[in-house]
Amino acid sequence: MAFNYDKYLRVEKMPTLWCWGCGDGVILKSFIRAVDKLGIKKDDMCVVSGIGCSGRFSSYVDFNTVHTTHGRTIAYATGIKLANPDKHVVCVAGDGDSLAIGGNHTIHGCRRNIDITFIIINNFIYGLTNSQTSPTTPQGMWTVSQKAGNIDPTFDTCKLAIASGASFVARESVNSPKRLEKVITQALEHKGFALVEALSNCHINLGRKNKMNSAMENLDWIDSITVSKKKYDAMSEEEQLNLLPTGILHQDTEVAEYCDMYAEIQKVHQGERKKITQDDFEKKI
Amino acid sequence: MAVMTAPENTPVWVDTVRCKACDICVDACPAGVLSMQQEPTSTLGAMISVIAPDSCIGCNECELSCPDFAIYVADKKEFKFAKLTADSKARQEVIANNGFRLPTDYKEAN
Amino acid sequence: MSATREVISTGNELAAIAAVDAGCTFFGGYPLTPSSEVMHVISDLLPKVGGTAIQMEDEIAGICCVIGAAMSGARALTATSGPGVSLKAENLGLAQMAEVPLVLVNVMRGGPSTGLPTRVSQGDIKQASNPSHGDYRSITLCAGNLAECYTETVRAFNLADRFMQPVIVLLDETIGHMHGKAMLPTAEEVKAGIVPRKTFDGPAEEYRPYECGPTEAATLNPMFEGYRYHYTGLHHDAMGFPTEEIETCRKLIQRLEDKVMAHQDEIELNEEFMMDDLTGEEGEVLIIAYGSVSLAAKEAIRHLRADGIKAGLFRPITIWPSPAAKIKEHTDKIKNVLCVELNIRQYTEEIERASSRLDIEGLYKVNGRAISPYEIVEKVKEVF
Repeated sequence: MAFNYDKYLRVEKMPTLWCWGCGDGVILKSFIRAVDKLGIKKDDMCVVSGIGCSGRFSSYVDFNTVHTTHGRTIAYATGIKLANPDKHVVCVAGDGDSLAIGGNHTIHGCRRNIDITFIIINNFIYGLTNSQTSPTTPQGMWTVSQKAGNIDPTFDTCKLAIASGASFVARESVNSPKRLEKVITQALEHKGFALVEALSNCHINLGRKNKMNSAMENLDWIDSITVSKKKYDAMSEEEQLNLLPTGILHQDTEVAEYCDMYAEIQKVHQGERKKITQDDFEKKI
Repeated sequence: MAVMTAPENTPVWVDTVRCKACDICVDACPAGVLSMQQEPTSTLGAMISVIAPDSCIGCNECELSCPDFAIYVADKKEFKFAKLTADSKARQEVIANNGFRLPTDYKEAN
Repeated sequence: MSATREVISTGNELAAIAAVDAGCTFFGGYPLTPSSEVMHVISDLLPKVGGTAIQMEDEIAGICCVIGAAMSGARALTATSGPGVSLKAENLGLAQMAEVPLVLVNVMRGGPSTGLPTRVSQGDIKQASNPSHGDYRSITLCAGNLAECYTETVRAFNLADRFMQPVIVLLDETIGHMHGKAMLPTAEEVKAGIVPRKTFDGPAEEYRPYECGPTEAATLNPMFEGYRYHYTGLHHDAMGFPTEEIETCRKLIQRLEDKVMAHQDEIELNEEFMMDDLTGEEGEVLIIAYGSVSLAAKEAIRHLRADGIKAGLFRPITIWPSPAAKIKEHTDKIKNVLCVELNIRQYTEEIERASSRLDIEGLYKVNGRAISPYEIVEKVKEVF
């Protein structure tokens, strides 16, 4: 016996249109194993993806799937989730989709702490459209829109998510598919906004022009810039500068989830409880 | 768990329709079980091949690292995998240094 | 439907009440003058009946969450004004392309850009005919009085589900903020008149959401009920998956056009006010107006007739697709035609196209103020 991914795939769509060696497929597999582990029924799952290579994620899985406009996965998902609060809604988007054009929606999804799982596939570039700078492309790398060298500073996806109020934030890379599967499982189980940054390799676009010609070289680079949270926390600021901690970076199960809070609003209007006031919240500002 | 029935007596098997010859599984294998081979009809001119199944230790690294659902490993409960030997490691090193292809004139140490 | 329920309210509020009566269970939006009251009212009405209303972080998120809810099967509403429609354009295109039903209420204000936020215009007529890029066959309705703020919103929901696309309901700011008495059908009548979207109830393996006749709308089952398929804004095949296949692409775009144009009879709605005795004689005047301007036009016509001028009003209630055949019929018969609108020639150009006449007179006002009946009377006397 071996794990049967085909159960969750739209097999007629195989092979995927991703480049040979693209980490997106590894992330897809980790996601499928997580869904299977939790026994989530296919009809209870909706996957919403954005524009880019990661956008094709949704067309490969046999769930209720939506391929949205660029940057808007969280906004579409918010509507789907609020209208169906007992279903699983998972967003999958790239670094450009979620942090550039979709930055605002990412921030507000975190702020609301709505029960959505957001897998951000960060390959440090705009892959599908051939190598434009993304908000995570390291400064100094070659991109097609900044051939003299990228001068744009980068976001730290996870720090942004934590500051915006996400109650579960984790980061893993495609170098650790089992750990990635584990954090995705935990993210799916978590009630609240759960963000998983999955670092991936785009050797065809980012790599080729930045001295990482093969998938392995690109993966080695990702390996060199990641370190476990435990080791990271023990490092000096100088050592931390060029490293991204992996693992669960933030988890709080006590934060109120948005659909639950909206259910209270419904109770107010249906006369089942008094109005919500500042006294209902610990945080008064 | 979603399972598929494995081919009998097989530690690792491949789906050549889905394989894109990315080399990752060959790089990931510690035991020299896998190699790319020339295949003019495929897009990159190469295709995965299981060249030394008897060396497979069932570590699952190939399956975990394959992005294309193209390689599968039998369950430990149903197949008795080999142990990692010096020969296997040596063969893997040769494969990795030869563009992930076993040289045609490769002779096992024993 | 009857007109027996007396309600005293504003246009914006009536649109919100209508949505809930018509089975809307989801609202997503963003505050934008002069439409915000729709959101304020519906955010109290919906949770009361188990529905959801959410104020999102921006206009784009407002339309996206509505499309998401509609994709999952809900009747969904958003309300905004011109600048909001501009922001929503890309996603309205996705809803159109993926055949997602929803209702968008646009309470028109002075434009373009920030324009005159608290003042009236009818400047979004052209925008409504195609808010997005690419081919887009719009269904746009325009309320011409308080009661229509209610009845046209109800009609919009049924049209959206029938034709599986966004339907725009235009209220100009005057009508949106007008406060008065409206005679409406009862909520029970409206509920009984709900015609929900078609669904497929055969075996899931036989379900082909986007496979249908060349003048039919897609059959999109609600999510989570055993029928799994794909939504995308890309060109797509019968199951919704992206494709670039030549014939599939051609047929899809053509079908999105024809599913509306082949069934205009189900969409067209006009009012012909005091037109019964217009036979095409010398001196007769046909006024074409819509929205709040039509109220002034009706008053102007009473004055004109008192002054011995036989005038009548043709009022399109369904603005897009335009009632081209009726326009041609009337403009073939009547020589003097005056188009009155709070914009510069936006619907006049459609009248010219439909009538094949380039001598249509016009009265246009774009300073954010209403057109009075007297201005219309003066203009008629000046040009005819």
